[in-house]
Amino acid sequence: MSLHERHRNIIDFALSSLGRRWKKNLALTVVYAFVVFTLASVVFFTEAVKSEARAVLRGAPEIVVQRLMAGRHDLIPESHIDVLRKITGTRQVQGRLWGYYFEPSTGANYTVVASGEPPLEPGTIAIGQGVARTLNAGEGDLIPLKGSKGDYASFEVVRVFSHESELVSSDLIEMHADDLRAFFGVPEDYFTDITLKVRNEKELVVVADKIRRLLPDTRPILRDEILRTYDSLFDWRSGLLLVIFAGAVAAFVIFAWDKATSLSMEERREMGVLKAVGWETSEVIAMKSWEGIIISLAAFFGGTVLAYVHVFFSSAFIFEPVLKGWAVLYPRFQLVPQIDPYQVLALFFLTVVPYTVATVIPTWSAATVDPDSIMRL
Amino acid sequence: MVELKNITKVFNRNRPDEFTALEDVSLLVEERKVTVFKGPSGSGKTTLLSIVGAMAKPTSGRVLVGAREITSLPERFLTEVRRRTFGFIFQQFHLIRGISALENVMLPAYTTGEKHAALRERALRLLELFGLSAKARARVEWLSGGEAQRVTIARALVNDPKVIIADEPTAHLDTKLSKDFLGIMERLNAEAKTILIASHDPLVYESTMVDHIIEMRDGRIRGSGPAE
Ligand SMILES: Nc1ncnc2c1ncn2[C@@H]1O[C@H](COP(=O)(O)OP(=O)(O)OP(=O)(O)O)[C@@H](O)[C@H]1O
Ligand SMILES: [Mg+2]
Repeated sequence: MSLHERHRNIIDFALSSLGRRWKKNLALTVVYAFVVFTLASVVFFTEAVKSEARAVLRGAPEIVVQRLMAGRHDLIPESHIDVLRKITGTRQVQGRLWGYYFEPSTGANYTVVASGEPPLEPGTIAIGQGVARTLNAGEGDLIPLKGSKGDYASFEVVRVFSHESELVSSDLIEMHADDLRAFFGVPEDYFTDITLKVRNEKELVVVADKIRRLLPDTRPILRDEILRTYDSLFDWRSGLLLVIFAGAVAAFVIFAWDKATSLSMEERREMGVLKAVGWETSEVIAMKSWEGIIISLAAFFGGTVLAYVHVFFSSAFIFEPVLKGWAVLYPRFQLVPQIDPYQVLALFFLTVVPYTVATVIPTWSAATVDPDSIMRL
Repeated sequence: MVELKNITKVFNRNRPDEFTALEDVSLLVEERKVTVFKGPSGSGKTTLLSIVGAMAKPTSGRVLVGAREITSLPERFLTEVRRRTFGFIFQQFHLIRGISALENVMLPAYTTGEKHAALRERALRLLELFGLSAKARARVEWLSGGEAQRVTIARALVNDPKVIIADEPTAHLDTKLSKDFLGIMERLNAEAKTILIASHDPLVYESTMVDHIIEMRDGRIRGSGPAE
């Protein structure tokens, strides 16, 4: 007598038992997998976007100083840099040069930035995946871009940013600072904005206050504020998605409960037969539990894998209408595949466990019938 | 083989519909004999068989299988004794629809922990014995009444029990099939199986192979003796 062999036989029979009612079980698995799919999609998506946004901002300067002109963002004079350097506690005060470029032929918006260290050669550019895709350009290609004076300048692509984090670099064009000034017509002693760091993070608010007082025409933007804004925006959006799919989940729960709690007469009879031919109550329950577990696992893995493909390889196309707002920020997001095991575990406990329990409970009462009851049917 | 001592079975005890189906029944089932229980409907034949076969527990009295008292055994052990000692042939067959005849035969042995391949081999040989090789893979709902009953017999034999218990085995069969059934029982009896049949079919209790007849009425044994 082997325990292993006994359970193999029981599982075998559970499988063939599922096969006998395959239409019903398939329908059940599909609905079940769909629910897992939507839940997992929402979870994967929001977490991936959140963590990417955080990764972007983590590298960002602690304070960005923008000059305001009539309430709008304007170029900031180089002389402001010296003022900011003199504020105690600030360091790495730097002028930044960047702008947006609208490409009429593709209708795409790119972000043009001055290259950091080491700088790119004048006349050359590095571009993001999104830019390469829309312009159909690769390393070594010459790309003509229309400058602010209406003239075209050609730049040689020397690098295409890797896939690492497309959210960061997808719509990016990097060029030499002098090229950028000429291209956008930014005067020699002006920058787009100024970034700086503080020595002690606790002084962030104090430094920001000082900046506002010393340079009343500017607005300091704190990285932490941006982070919070992003987080609440993402949470709100995913909350919306969850509400939408709560309906689907509720429908599933009713469906599963109904199917799981009501054993058909035929199923009850079969359990009686098993008892009568010499199965123990626990073995009958084990068999029925395996049926529930097999359906659950199939639906869970199917739904999770589909969600993974949906979010990370098809740009979450189903969510697009809801996520239109993000599309402005990220022209075409291709999220970096990542999985948080805790979330998968949480999903598992929210779907597989309740379903399996719901199938076992009614089995319990049906499996405890006296074996002789079948003799009177 | 099996001995019942002062068995009483009361259904729905302490309820308005309380019913005593068996009252003070004592009996000794002899090994390797064919015993038939006869009596009118409602006399307690099925109830008695279920207690002999360890399917149900009596309200009072004791049941001994071999020398072992089984009345007080917990379910697990009782099931074990039943699985090894008794093979059942039900009046309604009670095959499981949607799976093959072969699987139905293998079913009682699934939980013994036997290797699947060996079990399959044995089940196939049993089906062959009853001329059902060609039907091994057929779903049971496609079988004729006689074929279905032979699958049921094969299922009852798969764990190689010492005792075969059949409740009204000929109720759904015509005369020819009934005689075929009795032929099979005779063969099994010749192979040293003890056979217990409940039936009010004269074809059964007048059969020459029957060794012993027990007559029941109103939950009691009214007469008992060797078959003529
Ligand atoms: N679970 C039960 N609850 C209440 N009464 C029952 C139950 N099972 C059997 N009985 C009653 O016990 C009596 C004996 O039933 P049993 O099935 O043993 O008779 P039988 O001799 O096999 O009859 P038949 O020839 O019709 O099969 C019947 O009156 C029946 O109604
Ligand atoms: Mg009966």
